[in-house]
Amino acid sequence: MKGHWFWLLITASCVIWYSTITIYVAYKGVKDIKYMLRRLASRKNRSEESST
Amino acid sequence: MTNFSWIDGSVVGLYLLVTMIAGIFVRKYVGRVEDFLIAGREMNVYLGIASLAATEFGIVTCMYTAQNGYEKGFAGATPGILQALAMFLVGLTGFCVKPLRDSGVMTIPELFEKKFGPRIRWASGVVIVLGGLLNMGMFLRTGGEFLVKVTGLSGTHLLEIMMTILLILVAIYTVLGGMLSVLVTDFLQFIVMSVGLILVTVMILTRVGWGRLVETVERHFGAGGFNPFVNSTMGWQYVLFNAFLNTAAVLTWQTVIQRLLASRDTKTGMKIYTRTSFFFVARFLIPGIWGIAALATLTSQQVGHNTLHAMPLFLSSFIPAGVMGIVIAAMLAADMSTDSSYMVTWGSVIYNDILAPFRKSRWSEKKGLLWNRAIIALIGVFLMFYGLWYPLKGDLWTYLGVTGTIYLSSMSALLIACCYWKKSNSWGAAGAIFFGAFIPVLYLVLEQVPATASFAKKNIGPYYSGIATYLLAGLAMVIGSWLKLKVKAKQSKGEEA
Repeated sequence: MKGHWFWLLITASCVIWYSTITIYVAYKGVKDIKYMLRRLASRKNRSEESST
Repeated sequence: MTNFSWIDGSVVGLYLLVTMIAGIFVRKYVGRVEDFLIAGREMNVYLGIASLAATEFGIVTCMYTAQNGYEKGFAGATPGILQALAMFLVGLTGFCVKPLRDSGVMTIPELFEKKFGPRIRWASGVVIVLGGLLNMGMFLRTGGEFLVKVTGLSGTHLLEIMMTILLILVAIYTVLGGMLSVLVTDFLQFIVMSVGLILVTVMILTRVGWGRLVETVERHFGAGGFNPFVNSTMGWQYVLFNAFLNTAAVLTWQTVIQRLLASRDTKTGMKIYTRTSFFFVARFLIPGIWGIAALATLTSQQVGHNTLHAMPLFLSSFIPAGVMGIVIAAMLAADMSTDSSYMVTWGSVIYNDILAPFRKSRWSEKKGLLWNRAIIALIGVFLMFYGLWYPLKGDLWTYLGVTGTIYLSSMSALLIACCYWKKSNSWGAAGAIFFGAFIPVLYLVLEQVPATASFAKKNIGPYYSGIATYLLAGLAMVIGSWLKLKVKAKQSKGEEA
């Protein structure tokens, strides 16, 4: 059991890192989506205006 | 006996409703083919992380990585560690991905045309789609098997019905919104999936216990359960094959590359790589722990002959009612994000590269979008039929590795040569494509034919054939390019004389 510290360490790191990154990405990802949709909408409007 | 109740069904229904609404809502932002295939190159880092992680983790991933845990212990997570290392190093250095993103292409074969000509672009497209679709062919059946086992529902053709429903739901928003719908639903699916994965893992660690997991692995596999090099079913050949496979996947697997190409700029793409890298350890280790927990708590009679079913059988009795709905929703999220992304990805190669010779004159955006949507719908139909009748022999990860190698081996050789070897040319590229596809296909055929099946499994095996494929694809690139240079030099000498 003593020799398996590597897997214990990596398992603990996975659970802690994954929990943290999920919360962080959930918060920051919303901003990214809003930004992406805003840019695409303005680009679409511009191309529609230029075609008319 | 399963713990799936009406509360769980409601949670799943709510998740599906929200996903469908989000996926369909963003279709109005799609105006051009570029928006449909790579979200207008407007993806930022955190959306990229969510999308890449959600895409690369489906029910199929959960099933084969849990199977690895059940059959190999902790050592079964080795491919995840190798992939994380490759992802981190590639993201950090920009090896291949920097010149690829800087080139402004929409697919890898498009880049190859600049260096090796249109024929190689077309051939690369065919190999990518062939390898990718054979690989993806297993997704639906495996997802359906998981859902049937975990929910405990039974009935004639239930698996097929579940697969059909899953596919139709995914196809609706993917056909309408393309990559844009994929990104937005991937984000929602990443959150739902992650909550489910973390919840179950914490429950296993607290209720089954770390000590019991380690003791189970020790009892069944000895030192080989912790160290792949001394595991009787793995060894150096398994590690080397997976090192090649995962490095090639990081460099050229179209679903991964699509995130790089959809990102706002090269730096953003590289950041997505480095920051998502550790997820690939979790991708193998978390379900691997679920598989080990199944080994610790279920008898071999309960599991039966198919070890792929061990983890879902374990979950069906381990997860309490109420939480079960979250777990099913998480797994559906994982599967839907993978299926939708893969459909757009292979569709993009069919449209952009395989159909390129038929688009001599520029197609209108409207016509291009219509074709892309039709291609995705056709991929869905193919998946339905192939996923239903292909009889899988051997373990799932190996099947995916062998079919993935069909294109990963040659495409990685082509990409490295294209980016860093000035003298590489079309002869070398053609040789790499031929050997990269020929050896895995030959192995798959030998494995299926009864007369050669035993020879293929005992004397060759998927790891040696895989290693040989990567080495020969690289060698073919070098020898082929060298031969063309020699022939050209001779010809020009002859002309001078």
